[in-house]
Amino acid sequence: MEAIWLYQFRLIVIGDSTVGKSCLIRRFTEGRFAQVSDPTVGVDFFSRLVEIEPGKRIKLQIWDTAGQERFRSITRAYYRNSVGGLLLFDITNRRSFQNVHEWLEEAKAHVQPYQIVFVLVGHKCDLDTQRQVTRHEAEKLATAYGMRYIETSARDAINVEKAFTDLTRDIYELVRKGEINIQEGWEGVKSGFVPNVVHSSEEVIKSDRRCLC
Amino acid sequence: MSHTAKHTPGADLWMYWGFRWTQYRNGSEFRRRRKLNDIQKALSRDPPDVAMLRRMAISEGGLLTDEIRCQVWPRLLNVNTEDLPPPPGPELRVDNKDYQQVLLDVRRSLRRFPPGMPLKEREDLQEQLIDIILQVLDRNRQLHYYQGYHDIVVTFLLVVGGPLATALVDKLSTHHLRDFMDPTMDNTKHILNYLMPIIELVNPMLYDFMQRAEVGTIFALSWLITWFGHVLSDFRHVVRLYDFFLACHPLMPIYFAAVVRICSLILYYLCNYKDIAAIQRHSGGWSGTF
Repeated sequence: MEAIWLYQFRLIVIGDSTVGKSCLIRRFTEGRFAQVSDPTVGVDFFSRLVEIEPGKRIKLQIWDTAGQERFRSITRAYYRNSVGGLLLFDITNRRSFQNVHEWLEEAKAHVQPYQIVFVLVGHKCDLDTQRQVTRHEAEKLATAYGMRYIETSARDAINVEKAFTDLTRDIYELVRKGEINIQEGWEGVKSGFVPNVVHSSEEVIKSDRRCLC
Repeated sequence: MSHTAKHTPGADLWMYWGFRWTQYRNGSEFRRRRKLNDIQKALSRDPPDVAMLRRMAISEGGLLTDEIRCQVWPRLLNVNTEDLPPPPGPELRVDNKDYQQVLLDVRRSLRRFPPGMPLKEREDLQEQLIDIILQVLDRNRQLHYYQGYHDIVVTFLLVVGGPLATALVDKLSTHHLRDFMDPTMDNTKHILNYLMPIIELVNPMLYDFMQRAEVGTIFALSWLITWFGHVLSDFRHVVRLYDFFLACHPLMPIYFAAVVRICSLILYYLCNYKDIAAIQRHSGGWSGTF
């Protein structure tokens, strides 16, 4: 039986090539880290349940995107149906930080008429000795854009859970307050199902016995 | 100790199936030998019998071995193996707009090399891979590198080796992969749009199901632009598929993607559908399709 969730949020992860988008998502969804990760071709899809309060679970659908610029014409179609986003830069790569503004503009231009809650993520914080972006300037930028800022490391599993769950909580609050609404034809937020326990357990038994595969 | 092994229950059945298996093995060995023979015959003709080689590349087992691929792939692409491009000079890496991206992508593409390959050998191949990509881009300034292109080039490098790989990839990039290498992905998106009408023609019910679920066609993007090299983990499957694609029309990968999608959705649907009557009803409809 499918796990029970209150809401489903669709998140998109963006940022320059090699800032560590896929590694961050894999650490969060699969709990593992690969020293070397193949480039993403187009868009990849992941999902995980997050418990924001005891008994309150949110299903996260996470869209991983290719960093190469030419794929933007394809990935931009995914902004519209996302409610949240993680905008990554690599703290050891100044250029990736300078491009944050461009990514945000790109997202803003294509999310209309909806809105995305973004969190700015300074990734690879385990490589502090090679740091090219100070925490202070990143925080300043995030404040200017009205975003949270968090530093993460997929390799050492630092703040990975926090980055996703904080964003999920922020979105949940906005949904609860009615500032973000579930809308027909919009995939950003979907309401979960409340199962009829007796009925669904009957179905499970039935399908187990009769599955043809 | 009266009952001995010879009366083991089911022994006859085991012997029977063992015999059938040997028969099958012998049969497939026989077919394989015949195919090797046919391929050699087609290659030794003057000019080589390319129509025959195409049939061999498409039919069961494809081109069988990498040694044969080295001989047949150039024929399928009409590449002259006597006239290969000269090795690149050091200037290649200086004057190329895509160099940085190629470097980043190739250096982290370890999964595509055989596991257990010595580090030095793999690093040499990665450097060759960078050179081939840059050389082809340099020879065809109208072409643009995309993430995933390296997945195709590495397959050719591992099967036929450096100089010949350059010539084959050069031809492939100006023909089969040409649309993916435009300045924008518009033409690629256009080709992806063929997918749903193909599925609709083959199986309208699954087409409706996919439309309702709003799955889109993006799932097939990496299949299409890497010829499935990005998603298949077994290299033997990749090269078998490349035999097929090299012998077919450049749009074949999108037809193949439709088939993969249809088959996987049917499996998914059968596993998840809870109403047995509906399964029977629908599977009746599907049996006509396949």
